[in-house]
Amino acid sequence: MEVKILSAKFDIEGAHNIEVAKEHGAYATLDKLFTMDPAEVTTIVKDSGLRGRGGAGFPAGLKWSFLPKDLDKPVYLCVNSDESEPATFKDRYILVRDPHMLIEGIIICCYAINCQDTYIYIRGEYTSQVKILQAAIDEAYAAGYLGEKACGQDFRIDVTVHRGAGAYVCGEETALLESIEGKKGQPRSKPPFPAVEGLYGCPTIINNVQTIASLPFILAQGADAYKAHGTEKSSGTHLFGISGLVQKPGMYELPLGLPLLEVLDKVAGGLREGRTLKGVIPGGSSTPVLTPEEAQTVTLDYESMAEHNTMFGSGGIVVLDDTVDIVKLVENLIYFYHHESCGQCTPCREGLGWMLKIVKKIIRGEGSTKDIDLLLELCDNIEMKTVCVLSAACTMPVRSYLNKFRHEFEAYVAGGASSQSAM
Amino acid sequence: MSDRSQLIETGTPFTFDAQRDAEFERLVKRYPTRESMILPSLWLVQEQEGWISAEAMAYIADRIGTFASKVFEAATFYTMYNLRPMGKYHICVCRTLSCYLLGKQEIVDFLNREIGIKPGEVSSDKMFSLEEVECLGHCGSAPVVQVNGEFYENMDVEKLKELLATLN
Amino acid sequence: MAEKIKLFVNGQEVEVESGKNLVDAIGAVGIEIPHLCYHPALGADGNCRMCLVGIEDGRPPLVPACKTRAVEGMKVQLDTDKIRKIQRDVMEFELVNHPVDCPVCDQAGECKLQDYYMQYDGQKSRMSVPQVRKAKHLDFGCGVIHDQERCILCARCVRFTRMITKTGELGIVNRTDYARVTIFPGRPLANRYALNVVDLCPVGAMTSQDFRFKQRAWFLTKSKSICHGCAKGCNIFIDHNREKYKDDIIYRFRPRLNEQINGYFMCDEGRMSYKLENEQRLTKPVLNGKVADFGTTVEGIRRALSQAQKMLFVVSPNCSLEEMRAIQQFAASQNATLSGYSDGYIKQGDGDDYLIQDDKSANRAGLELLGIDSSKTGFETAVAEADLLISFQNDLTRTLGAEACNQLKERMVLISIGSHEDSLTQMAAIMLPVASYSEKDGTIVNADRILQRYAVAVEKNAPPVTLIQAVAQLGGEITSLESAWDDLNTVVAGLNKVDFAQIPEQGLALTDSEVSNVAA
Repeated sequence: MEVKILSAKFDIEGAHNIEVAKEHGAYATLDKLFTMDPAEVTTIVKDSGLRGRGGAGFPAGLKWSFLPKDLDKPVYLCVNSDESEPATFKDRYILVRDPHMLIEGIIICCYAINCQDTYIYIRGEYTSQVKILQAAIDEAYAAGYLGEKACGQDFRIDVTVHRGAGAYVCGEETALLESIEGKKGQPRSKPPFPAVEGLYGCPTIINNVQTIASLPFILAQGADAYKAHGTEKSSGTHLFGISGLVQKPGMYELPLGLPLLEVLDKVAGGLREGRTLKGVIPGGSSTPVLTPEEAQTVTLDYESMAEHNTMFGSGGIVVLDDTVDIVKLVENLIYFYHHESCGQCTPCREGLGWMLKIVKKIIRGEGSTKDIDLLLELCDNIEMKTVCVLSAACTMPVRSYLNKFRHEFEAYVAGGASSQSAM
Repeated sequence: MSDRSQLIETGTPFTFDAQRDAEFERLVKRYPTRESMILPSLWLVQEQEGWISAEAMAYIADRIGTFASKVFEAATFYTMYNLRPMGKYHICVCRTLSCYLLGKQEIVDFLNREIGIKPGEVSSDKMFSLEEVECLGHCGSAPVVQVNGEFYENMDVEKLKELLATLN
Repeated sequence: MAEKIKLFVNGQEVEVESGKNLVDAIGAVGIEIPHLCYHPALGADGNCRMCLVGIEDGRPPLVPACKTRAVEGMKVQLDTDKIRKIQRDVMEFELVNHPVDCPVCDQAGECKLQDYYMQYDGQKSRMSVPQVRKAKHLDFGCGVIHDQERCILCARCVRFTRMITKTGELGIVNRTDYARVTIFPGRPLANRYALNVVDLCPVGAMTSQDFRFKQRAWFLTKSKSICHGCAKGCNIFIDHNREKYKDDIIYRFRPRLNEQINGYFMCDEGRMSYKLENEQRLTKPVLNGKVADFGTTVEGIRRALSQAQKMLFVVSPNCSLEEMRAIQQFAASQNATLSGYSDGYIKQGDGDDYLIQDDKSANRAGLELLGIDSSKTGFETAVAEADLLISFQNDLTRTLGAEACNQLKERMVLISIGSHEDSLTQMAAIMLPVASYSEKDGTIVNADRILQRYAVAVEKNAPPVTLIQAVAQLGGEITSLESAWDDLNTVVAGLNKVDFAQIPEQGLALTDSEVSNVAA
């Protein structure tokens, strides 16, 4: 089931070094690139159907085309390597195992959107990874791919790594911009959208690492070659991160559109011995959970996920088996989102902490049915009332657990603290 | 998240060492505004000192030419900035989702027993500090522990014992 | 005038100014969109979420009104169940961690949380878990006290110090519900406008060290006036109260919006100058070192005038136009020299490029308008010959120094007619107390030549005689503001078209061409 497009060099020893990477085809698309018109590059990317791999799945080429045409300001490219959605760890593989694929993608994108300054926003937690990435960038400068006359062209490309420092919300693209500008990562109201007014008030494209890293293949092989993988509307491959209670967790590159359960069985080795499936988180912690029944019919693409009232998200799949205490899992999730709320908007700032305390109260055995209903209502009251979707990233999955596993919450309410061990 | 606004003052002015000074000057050219140097500067301080004092924040603010309140905001917003001295070995245990499902609590409990500190504490001999952190992006090899920035994957109590034995 | 556009609010067509955001545009026609973080002087931040409104057929259908521009044909929904629920929900979130300590909170009575709770919420608290605890009674400097638990993190105060004063002392540290407003250690508020954050704070998180626990807001009478602290003429509210068995006392000044003068703000010095209106007031006339009644003292002055050979009247640059004219007219009738010499009221270099002026007097432009000589040489020539000097509220010690005034006292009759005890009144042989600006009507012209009118704010148990009345009793012809204006309209070319009764609330800009000196 696995395919090797993005991950082609992942298993090659030393592929993070430019010499090894080049032996295996790195930077080979550049000769072709500079024979093309920048608009042609955008067209190919549009035609490939490549969708933003950060989580929202917005068509990449279309995003680029939102840049204003008559520009008197510089255009910035920000590569989103914040990768902080729980259950997501795919971009790390690119950063560590094939950083030159990312740099090549950056060159392609910069050429297409006429950008000279790129910032790679990497999460602060990636301490060893940032060193590998920076070393690769230094190599690319030394080899002339980056710098004043990038790739021997009359074109400057500078790439700067900007480290985050522990804030999930900076994966939100406008929070990321604020963070590069030296501020707290508090998302901006949109409009204006970054393509019009982004970094330093200039037009800015923000793309996920995997999105940018997909560009060399698309350019080299063409849109059709990319579209040959996946489904009609969800083309290409994705680096799926499978974690949780499965035999073989890990990162797997798969074409979009495969049946979820088949992938879990055949790729990730299935459930652990003697266990039964309780649910699947399909695309990172913020996506609504699927019950085993729902999981049977869902395929790994944007459309099927939407039909199942959940989201493809970041492709970070978490398997929950029958040992999982859903109420405590929900506590763990709300704790995360409360911890990560930027504190800007009232509903998110005040609401998530309130929800966390209610869940803790339920776990202590002091809750009532009213508290379960209040949690559900608070999900509605918070969701989509805020500048960004961080609050929704909490309320959407929490609502799904409350609705699909309400009996587990009710058991806590009925049984009190004595029947459950507090964590 | 807890309150991070109670800064520690060392009583002595802070300044970058020669290496960080040079790195500051290299990086500042990469940004069109000096305020963009707030996060990188805080990292430089932390690299140099292990933590960030009130004096260091004031130094950054003045060096960049911005309000100390802005540096203060950033330093308290981003939770990886240590606002007090940590142990020689700063141990971070991922507490989120996949690591939670795969037993991060056993790891925390074990460390609590072995080194006698709870998350958020520093051992009295300043050898260890322990922190529960949010998702470290290693969910496929959960549970994961980070010691002074190095990742240790697929952790369990046995592996942790071996690791602790090397930390001295 | 700005262009008008038509849009719909709750299905009803309204005409609003184009180019404004929905809060301002719709607010201007009397329809309130509740908001906490938005402030016209600080722009839209969009954090409180209280101003979310529905836009029919809009993309997106729910927008923060403060960040949304009014557009022709827009269909704004405020009264739908959905919007009402959002307002109620946001209020609930604002209040879950709020201490609701209204009985001991100075903001009570003028608190947006209270108002909005009554208007948009009204439900019982559903908070059954412990609240977030934060710090209270933090001294931020400049007399500003902060309560982090009452704070709703609207960031108005933070934005004020960053955008208006550009001093940036305040910040919001931490994130999530641990977020709080604070100062950097050792760098407290240190700007001359800091107390504006108390007014800006929509709740009781920022209180004034000076005002707190002094008065409940609902007992205060809020009278419009003009600050006399400098030549800017900032518009203010004088908040005062006459408690049972006490006199009418001023408890605070607050800035009052005037777009062409001070906007929404005022300086701290001007704000604290309310104390001068309460304190060191002259109440008892003094005749030759002894307290006398008003009539006897007036008689004493008249006698001194009749005996004098060369008289010099010195008028204060703080007097109103009407008072200046009354004194000018009286000086002419007495054959006295009139001087407005008052250089001591100017603190060279003290002003800034915002509101604070070097000139600490309120109506120096009035002196010029009336052609009253304020020169040093004019004063020196006149004082050299004079054997009698009347100061009309002009504390000459500020200009000449105490020693020089003492010397004057030795060689001439020194009379002071004033509202406040100062160095000069202590030297004067005769002293007559009169009303200060909070107790009388009048007009003044500020440094930018804007004519403004103010009215009686404070009504003392024993109302002081106004300067105009005092001058009239001494024999002046002008007896009232109206009669002063009959005169001003004829003799001051720059004022001949001004209708005293019609001076607009925001003041009247006197153009340069209109300003020329008095003919007579």
